[in-house]
Amino acid sequence: MSRVYRGTGVVVAVGCLLLFAPGCSKTLEGTSGSKTTEQAKPAPVTLPGEERVADEIVVAKAEPSSEAAQASKQRTQEMQMEQAATTKAGLEDVFFAFDSWQIKDEGKQALNVNGQWLKANEGKSLTIEGHCDERGTQAYNLVLGEKRAKAVRSYLVDLGVDAKRLAVTSYGKDRPFCREHNEDCYQQNRRGHLVLRVK
Amino acid sequence: MRLSVVSRIIGAVAIGLAGAGLVGSGPESDAADVYLEATRPDAQKIPIGVLGFLDGATSARPGKEAAEVLAADLRRSQLFTVADTSKLGLAPAGAAGPDRQKLKQTVESGVKVLVWGTIGMREPDYLLDRFIYDGGDDVAAGKRYVGPASVLRQMAHRVADELVARYTGEPGIARTRIAYVSEKKGARELFVMDYDGHSAKQITSDGFLNLTPQWSPDRKYLVFTSYQSRTRQNIEIADLATGKRSPLVSLSGLNITPAPSPDGTKLAFATSQDGNSEIYTMDMQTKALQRLTVHSAGDLSPSWAPTGKELAFTSDRGGGPQIYVMSADGSNVRRLTFDGDYNAAPAWSPRGNWIAYVCRSEQRQYKICLISPDGEKRAQITSGQSIDDSPSWSPDGRHLAFSSTAGGKTHVYMINSDGKELEQLTFNGTHNSMPAWSSVEAPKVESQAADKK
Repeated sequence: MSRVYRGTGVVVAVGCLLLFAPGCSKTLEGTSGSKTTEQAKPAPVTLPGEERVADEIVVAKAEPSSEAAQASKQRTQEMQMEQAATTKAGLEDVFFAFDSWQIKDEGKQALNVNGQWLKANEGKSLTIEGHCDERGTQAYNLVLGEKRAKAVRSYLVDLGVDAKRLAVTSYGKDRPFCREHNEDCYQQNRRGHLVLRVK
Repeated sequence: MRLSVVSRIIGAVAIGLAGAGLVGSGPESDAADVYLEATRPDAQKIPIGVLGFLDGATSARPGKEAAEVLAADLRRSQLFTVADTSKLGLAPAGAAGPDRQKLKQTVESGVKVLVWGTIGMREPDYLLDRFIYDGGDDVAAGKRYVGPASVLRQMAHRVADELVARYTGEPGIARTRIAYVSEKKGARELFVMDYDGHSAKQITSDGFLNLTPQWSPDRKYLVFTSYQSRTRQNIEIADLATGKRSPLVSLSGLNITPAPSPDGTKLAFATSQDGNSEIYTMDMQTKALQRLTVHSAGDLSPSWAPTGKELAFTSDRGGGPQIYVMSADGSNVRRLTFDGDYNAAPAWSPRGNWIAYVCRSEQRQYKICLISPDGEKRAQITSGQSIDDSPSWSPDGRHLAFSSTAGGKTHVYMINSDGKELEQLTFNGTHNSMPAWSSVEAPKVESQAADKK
């Protein structure tokens, strides 16, 4: 019980409720000497035999710090710039079969074109994002997406591109290009997406 | 009936949903012709009547909501069957209770426990008095719960947990929470809601990807994967009370599927710093890393046995993903699942007797399955056309939360571990997934005063 009683005001209120409830507000007024306190909500009390129910799991509304908000904004801007630069460069994505990270012939053709571009633009670096369709578990698709991204990197490295210019990542099925539940859409989402880095 | 072998279970008819009115709108459930011992058959349940809460002295009239919350909790507990109180002809009353003779008759007629109460006001709090009659001459000692209006539902949940403890000696789960991932403006953010889907609160607002949340055993923290940039993601820990976040694992590559050990001293997770996804543990005090898996295939999704001595995990070392089990030091790796070519996302029951996971059915649907840790018993507990994912056990081992695309959008559902009583928990937005169920609250140390009857 001890944790419940904080400060004399509360103790007075408790006594009040127990002994002479009708005179309570007057007692509080007398104690605090202020009319505003009289109108403020009384402090919560827990009497012997009562159990106070509080949120056992306290969840604060986590307001992002201005720093974090700034970082988030910067990241969004940077990603937009990268996407624009990627489109301009004409880099082609690679598409995969269901559950597979093998690069198909069309994918090889696309990567040959990308490889030539990379050789012609020595200063440029790419991020290869692995994506998956919605089938399967979110967690395993993160790993499958990484396998796809790494298969793309490995093909480009075999073409003679320095691996240091090729970062890989995976979004699994959590940043889909297409949101329908059909094979046309699934096909769009099983991809190695090449993104030109801007810095 | 005992759990029978797989061949009998596959193709079992989904009958459990008909009564729930959920057929067609939710993932279908296999109310399989099996008895998974984590749940009780109806015959062993205690019939209970919730007579209601008198609330005439309060302006907001919270009695109806409190009674509904309490009745829903009792029904979900799988320990009670909740009687239709409108047919009992008993109205709630104060401490004296309804007419004693009538109470007695009702209990003798089969509704073994009757609960009612009053909700009054003592600014700034509600006072909820609950009374119980379960036969004999006396009404059980009343108990008073106090709390502000904002915790009214929690007060009703508290009464439910008290009743579960009273009749089973086990803590109830009505005050547990479920963390999950929800889509906001194309991003994935973390949320926490009550176990019944109410009072959702947003935890992150990063505008990017936050995935695979899990609770610390003390329920004060969430650990999860947070993408900092396209190529860098950390496993972070967030203090729920303060909102403060800090990185725990920042290795190069993917750092995913964190899982705090049952005693909270270690964190198991998967990282691809070695070139492909491998499972590590980190000592939470010293931050020392220990590598558990060494294999050129992908290893991920570690899930601790409640003893902390073993881990189940997903590995595609056999081709497609399958569930494996290993000792907590990485030794004694054995493959657990052999049915089907896709089994992933294991979740070890807090009772230890089942491992839930996602199985791909013969119809190529992603369903929730259970397998015993010795691999001898297996059951598929959801069915129908949908992608079901991320099973997470309730701390009493009687329920699973999981995500499903059955309604077109991805939502979080709850189901009994025997495949009955499917319930949709999230309704907003287009994507709610990766549910993680908190542990049950630490046992309360009752004060001397509270014990006085």
